[in-house]
Amino acid sequence: MVMKNTFLNFLVGVLLLSACNPSANEKQKNPDRIRIGVSMLSMQNEFIVNISDEMQIKAEELGVELIMVDAERSPLKQIEQVESFIAQKVDAIILNPCEFEASSPAVTKALDANIPIVNVNSATKIQPVSFVGSDDVESGRIAMKYISEKLGGKGNIVMIQGLNGQAAQIQREQGAKEIMEQNPGLKMIAQQTAEWDRSKSMDLMQNWIQSYGTKINAVFAHNDEMGLGAVKALQDAGMKDRVIVVSIDAIADALVSVKKGELDATVFQDAKKQGAGAIDAAVKIAKGQKSEKEILIPFKLLTKVDVDAYLK
Amino acid sequence: MRYINKLRHYGIFIVFLAICINLSLISPQFLTISNWTIIITQVSINALLAFGVTFVIITGGIDLSLGSIVAVSGVTAAMLAHPNTYPLIVPILAALFAGLLIGAFNGFMITKSKIAPFIVTLGTMTIGRGLALILSDGRPVSNLSDSFVFIGSGKLLGLPILILILVIMFIICSVILNKTTLGRYIYALGGNEQAARASGIMVTRVKMMVYSISGVLAGLAGILLTSRITTGQPNAGAGFELDAIAAVVIGGTSTSGGKGSIGGTMIGVLLIGVINNSLDLLNVSSYYQQVVMGLIIIGAVVLDSLNQKSNY
Repeated sequence: MVMKNTFLNFLVGVLLLSACNPSANEKQKNPDRIRIGVSMLSMQNEFIVNISDEMQIKAEELGVELIMVDAERSPLKQIEQVESFIAQKVDAIILNPCEFEASSPAVTKALDANIPIVNVNSATKIQPVSFVGSDDVESGRIAMKYISEKLGGKGNIVMIQGLNGQAAQIQREQGAKEIMEQNPGLKMIAQQTAEWDRSKSMDLMQNWIQSYGTKINAVFAHNDEMGLGAVKALQDAGMKDRVIVVSIDAIADALVSVKKGELDATVFQDAKKQGAGAIDAAVKIAKGQKSEKEILIPFKLLTKVDVDAYLK
Repeated sequence: MRYINKLRHYGIFIVFLAICINLSLISPQFLTISNWTIIITQVSINALLAFGVTFVIITGGIDLSLGSIVAVSGVTAAMLAHPNTYPLIVPILAALFAGLLIGAFNGFMITKSKIAPFIVTLGTMTIGRGLALILSDGRPVSNLSDSFVFIGSGKLLGLPILILILVIMFIICSVILNKTTLGRYIYALGGNEQAARASGIMVTRVKMMVYSISGVLAGLAGILLTSRITTGQPNAGAGFELDAIAAVVIGGTSTSGGKGSIGGTMIGVLLIGVINNSLDLLNVSSYYQQVVMGLIIIGAVVLDSLNQKSNY
């Protein structure tokens, strides 16, 4: 009997909770306001969270209403979210795609329903009305160019890859390899994934230090988390002074590390311009104005000299 | 004949030795002290999780919330470990308490509601991940004090602290399981719950204990991970529970309960660590690493079931 009561209480609790769900308050919304549905790749990723914060700020500034949802890295979920945006008759949709191919149906569905859709940060196979983001191949080129300059065009490099098969991993690797082909003195002695993860990257770097030791001249990591893991492993082995480490994203930890002279450089990807740019483009199109088909936000290499302006 | 039986009993240990001997022939770096220091450091976090879940699996249960507990305790510790705030003991105790709380909640729900452990811990896995994201606002918590970072990278008596903690926990867990009444009850419960209940064992209390132990050890693992990578990450530890369960299964603990040992689990943990390490040393693609690991898990269970049959 006691059991039953606990469960009843639980059920009542659940009902109460669902009653205060924000969707129940939707009637209060202002009918004249522009409403934009936003589906984000993953709110567990710091960079994506930064983009979404910038979107909120810009939306408030322009007085538009955002319905923001988290696709939790699932393209299927993302498609369902776009379907529900279509059903809610939003004025525009912003998509931060989970995958190049698998998120494409979401774009097709929005276009078929005559709702303008803007991609932010990464691309889909099907072209949206507008794309706001950066060209990841370029970030790989910038990082490898810096390594090449530092090494005088000659040396052994190890590359720590992102999750294999993701657009960012493929394109960053492609950019890096383009530069290596132009500089035959650069040699890739090992490459392996650490799945964007700092502790996995640290383990990998420790193992490489065991097998290659002082042969390693430079490390290119596909994101800062992994770059910082490599820095930690090199520091523990007393080798950081001899090895150059470069990574991409310019997250807060990486900026601090560059400032301290540990991480040699990071490539800055502009979350603010991407987030605000996407809202701008979506609002413009929703109002029936023209927006550019592709708005590319440039990357910037940050070393110890120019990192100060980016530290908050 | 008895000798052969004994050999069979140590099947996985012999497989482990054979792999090590082979690897030391292929890779000259494999059998060095520095490489083994690295291997044992790298496995220490998985080992703590695996020790905890060994207790749970011997009672016939399962704990899927380990990875999320690592994230919650890691973020908790990081938030309290900023320089010049609290003494070192505060973040440590708070993180252990967070682990204990979630573990005890698991135990409470499993014993009171009679819901299967698989379902309850699946629920707390999701709850824990959400809590970690709420606590940290979706971003890594950085800027940790030197004393806190020292836990993960420092040495005492010439040995890395991570290894010392691992050894201490190994001894404590072995003693609990082999030399105490609680240990005897745990085996009895897993062997036959009805019989255990009939013979007067406080089944509820024993179950509460094993899930609490598992939670505290996961809390400790969260502290070590955070200290090692010098940041508390809300998405840390995802999938860790599967590595831990794999190690336990490889180590000969029966998933139907009643059988298993901390020593076996340690061999399982080391086997996984050695394979990861050596495939990195040999620069084998991570695609193959995953296939190899899967084959080893299945192989271990097959070996175990052959053993079981030969006993009848």
